[in-house]
Amino acid sequence: MEIKSILIANRGEIAVRVINTARKMGIESWVIKTSKEPNAFYLTQADHIIDFSDHTEEISEFLDIEAIIKAMKDNNISAVHPGYGFLAESPIFAERCDDEKIIYIGPSADAIYRMGNKTIAKELARKHKVPLLGGSKGNLSSPDEAVKIANEIGYPVILKAASGGGGRGMRIVEEEKNVAKMFKMASSEAEKAFNDPDVFVEKYVRNPRHIEFQIFGDKHGNIIHLGERECSVQRKHQKLIEESPSAVLDEKLRKKMGAAAINIAKSVDYFSAGTVEFLLDDKMEFSFMEMNTRIQVEHPVTEMITGLDLIEWQIRIARGEELPLKQKDVKINGWAIEYRINAEDVQGGFSPSLGVIEKISLPRSKNIRIDSGVVEGSSITSYFDSMVAKLIVHGENREKAILYSQNALKKFWIKGIKTTIPFCNAVLLNKNFRKGKYDTSFLTKEMTKHYHEGQDDEMLAAFFATYDFVKEIENVENKPVDFDKGKNIAPWVLKKRLKSL
Amino acid sequence: MANHNGKTEKEKFYACSTKGKKFEVVNPLGEIVKVKGKKLDMQIVEDPDSFTYIIYKKKKYHIEILEKSQNKYTVMINGVWYNFSIETPISYKRMKTLSKVQVVSRIENIMAPMPGKILDIMVEENGEIKEGEPLFILEAMKMQNEIVSNVSGKVKKINIKNNDSVMKDDVMIEIEKA
Amino acid sequence: MDVKGRNFTKFLDREKVFEKQNNQEIVDKQHSRGKLTARERIHILFDEGTFEEIDAFVAPVGEDTGFGKMKRAYGDGVIIGHGRISNRLTFAYAQDFNVMGGSLGEIHATKISKIQDMSLKMGAPIIGLIDSGGARIQEGIASLAGYASIFYRNVQASGVIPQISVIMGPAAGGAVYSPSITDFVFMTNKTSYMFVTGPNVVKEVLNEDVTLEDLGGAGVHSRKTGIANLMYEDEENTLFGVKKLLSYLPSNNLDNPPFIEGPTDDIDNSRLKLRDIVPDDANKPYDVKDVINLICDKGSFFEISEQFAQNIVVGFARLEGKTIGILANQPKVLAGTLDINSSMKGARFVRFCDSFNIPILTLEDVPGFLPGVDQEHNGIIRHGAKLLYAYADATVPRITVILRKSYGGAYCVMNSKNLGGDFNFAWPTAEIAVMGPEGAVAILYKRELAESKDPMKLKKELALKYRNEIANPYVADEKGYIDEVIDPANTRKKLISAFEALENKHVNVPSRKHGNIPL
Repeated sequence: MEIKSILIANRGEIAVRVINTARKMGIESWVIKTSKEPNAFYLTQADHIIDFSDHTEEISEFLDIEAIIKAMKDNNISAVHPGYGFLAESPIFAERCDDEKIIYIGPSADAIYRMGNKTIAKELARKHKVPLLGGSKGNLSSPDEAVKIANEIGYPVILKAASGGGGRGMRIVEEEKNVAKMFKMASSEAEKAFNDPDVFVEKYVRNPRHIEFQIFGDKHGNIIHLGERECSVQRKHQKLIEESPSAVLDEKLRKKMGAAAINIAKSVDYFSAGTVEFLLDDKMEFSFMEMNTRIQVEHPVTEMITGLDLIEWQIRIARGEELPLKQKDVKINGWAIEYRINAEDVQGGFSPSLGVIEKISLPRSKNIRIDSGVVEGSSITSYFDSMVAKLIVHGENREKAILYSQNALKKFWIKGIKTTIPFCNAVLLNKNFRKGKYDTSFLTKEMTKHYHEGQDDEMLAAFFATYDFVKEIENVENKPVDFDKGKNIAPWVLKKRLKSL
Repeated sequence: MANHNGKTEKEKFYACSTKGKKFEVVNPLGEIVKVKGKKLDMQIVEDPDSFTYIIYKKKKYHIEILEKSQNKYTVMINGVWYNFSIETPISYKRMKTLSKVQVVSRIENIMAPMPGKILDIMVEENGEIKEGEPLFILEAMKMQNEIVSNVSGKVKKINIKNNDSVMKDDVMIEIEKA
Repeated sequence: MDVKGRNFTKFLDREKVFEKQNNQEIVDKQHSRGKLTARERIHILFDEGTFEEIDAFVAPVGEDTGFGKMKRAYGDGVIIGHGRISNRLTFAYAQDFNVMGGSLGEIHATKISKIQDMSLKMGAPIIGLIDSGGARIQEGIASLAGYASIFYRNVQASGVIPQISVIMGPAAGGAVYSPSITDFVFMTNKTSYMFVTGPNVVKEVLNEDVTLEDLGGAGVHSRKTGIANLMYEDEENTLFGVKKLLSYLPSNNLDNPPFIEGPTDDIDNSRLKLRDIVPDDANKPYDVKDVINLICDKGSFFEISEQFAQNIVVGFARLEGKTIGILANQPKVLAGTLDINSSMKGARFVRFCDSFNIPILTLEDVPGFLPGVDQEHNGIIRHGAKLLYAYADATVPRITVILRKSYGGAYCVMNSKNLGGDFNFAWPTAEIAVMGPEGAVAILYKRELAESKDPMKLKKELALKYRNEIANPYVADEKGYIDEVIDPANTRKKLISAFEALENKHVNVPSRKHGNIPL
């Protein structure tokens, strides 16, 4: 199968990321222009633009399957890359692409569907002997069943929406008497949020680590993994910092978890890039959480330590090529950490900080990579997520990577918006983070303050405010106001002005 | 305070942070600047079209004024922001004098400026709110209107919820003035 | 002083009494109220050493009415004089709260009248620093007559010289009317009050408990009544604000506004932002002040009545150093609709600019007048007419830029072409029509919508069609109601050259005593 052109059904940094690989491979890139950000940076990078400015449907341009399919057919585009978010995990979209003979750069619609449904995914994991948290086999039929299973697996337990995500439709229950009540709440919340009231129950792991494995498969049945990523620095289930490898995995555990990840992928004959997420408890017991059937935001950390281009692999596999590497050939080199630089006000509780990037200055070094979807003049609007850029830093080992990161963040300047950089600084100075001792409770338990302020910051800020205040007064007072110039009036005007008085 | 052709009295100022810290700044525009009695050996590099930064103890501090209104400032330094009000010795004394005289905390009622529907509420009961911060979004005339607080203080009571239809001058939120 | 002789002894004695009258104890007392003394205020306001006091030793009328105690003092509780502010001749009076509570007696009033007369004769601005307990009851009718003579002069000088009132203490009873006639009222927060009847009377008559602050504090007047045009947190900043305002104003109605050597930065990076400021979604608000700041000389925008009727933004700014007055609908507040308060605020500002030869820039994004029983019953018709009248009556250069919405009657009012606007520009985002797309299609396609199976969808499609075909700037452009559709990033350049072209504008108005503005 030949791919001559790719539509990237996405925006921001991931659109730019895919465009770059496409260009490298000699493939034409197409992107969608929306009225919400008509001057976005990614538009300037692509070979061709499809204009969706007149799009009037309720749903976002990037979610309108039929409009996107039509645009691809009209322009004779051979393949589509969904990026992450939007249509990246829509089995319907993948299937429609198949129907229309458009190559979907990603897994099969079937794999997306089965992994997207948590109940089916768990069932598959159980079948393939992948460790799972104790819990219901599939959805709960009644509050009584919930109570029964909860009593079996022991407290605390968590009730989750089958179609859920992002913390909605989730309830942690500590004791038996609350199970029935919480079941009803979770179910009605799930119904509202996902139009699906199905709920299941499982053992709740307190403060686990979030470890995920990057896996890759081809259409010839080969599946390998490219090591793990540690994503435990999270706020309300949003990842903020990711690293690879993880500071707690030894070779033995890595092998075991990697094998489990491959097993899960095999259960759905997986091809393309995928991520298998595990929870790892304090006794180093892991259990399968879910599989993401797309390229992840944090894929660059894996690229940095393996030296591979995962987007290129995705495209090649979509073309039907075999995986270029065998498991034993995968070499991990050094350490990489990714920082999500979001337009958020950390001091204001991570609230979005909208505005225009007036000026941006990035650190430069051979061990630094920055994936960004913005340039000077770009607007951060409320239409899309708040991610401005990803800073990925590579070091020979973790200590070096942390050191280089601190230097890089110092040189990462953005004028016009507030960002999560002070948060990253605070994390890097945290003793336990430096030791690699952290889990998903890191933000709430370990960090008393979510931003780092330097010793002299407030003093200098106080000085600068005073300086500006006095300077403005000075300016107004010393700027010669030329009142006399106001008296130089053309006789033509003055005469008439006098006459009309 | 500056006056008289800008010749005199520009020596001493106080930058008072909202958290109650006070920084005495002497001669901010002069050759020798003193902050809290200590000489501040620094250099300001200003460029309105690029970055403005301070070099202090051989380190660069990226600095930006996010907001200013009269003598109230929000300054961001290396990504962290602070609020200050800049006072002269006279206005500082006035501030202290008046704060002793007026300690009555009162309730400010935020009312609907026009009939409409509540789309979103951005505050919670008992939350702190600053003047100018958004309280809720009222949809009227097919427009989303962000209703902001005209006082600083604590949200005492919220009388509305999402999708409520409200009439003009209904009391939406009660704020205890700081 | 090394002088001899009887005449000089008397001279020196007076100086001593005068010093005693301003002793430290009195200064401290004033400071303990959080206020500065009248003399300190004058000292801050004027350029160093330029203030010349007049009538410092005038004494109150001698006859004791025998009713109530009266402490006599030189100056009679008010300082008058002239000096220079930013090196321009300016007149001022400052009431002294420490002399008989700054109360207004016959001599006190005569002094103020005298300085008012002088400022009008010289064609120079006058500033009143007000800190007075009100009419001096002991002097009876004489003090009331004094007020009336001040008001009379305020009105005579209106539109001839800029008059500014700075409330720095109480202004009660009749005293409030002089400031309200003047062009601009400044108030200092927490230490100044204005009301016709004080809390005690309110309590007595209506049995309502109200604090000074809630009845007539700076907050009330800057937010609710709009009487205070500017409010500051302390007196030094207040006086600094006065100086800043003066830097935009000419000395009289024959002069042009002053000039500041301005930065001539043409297109810089930040102006490109103008292209993105107006959201594509017609219902999304944005802050029109961002537009103003990007068009005008950096940091030159000086807003008037910021807190009152925030759905319209008015203020002074500079374009290449030249003063302009700006009126802008504020989509962030009440969707930028015109209502009673914003019409009054806008109208008064237009009148001021027109009086003093200040060109007017209108930035328009207005969905219409605010509907409602409340508005109609309180006379939005009359108040909206004020703004309309003020615009149509103004002979200074007038330019409008339509940023987004410009619908219906509000289109006419906001300095439209046929109301005498000199240049009317529009951004590509402009929507000019009799009404918004949704409203228009609901009327035009009433039957089709009623019969449709999916009326929502049809309505949307029709609205889009309407937007594309009718509610855009190009239809108006082709018919000549718009002079040019311009690139937002180019707005500043366009305005500079347009105002330049209008510099010598003059309109012959019909001779009449004065028009009859719908007050």
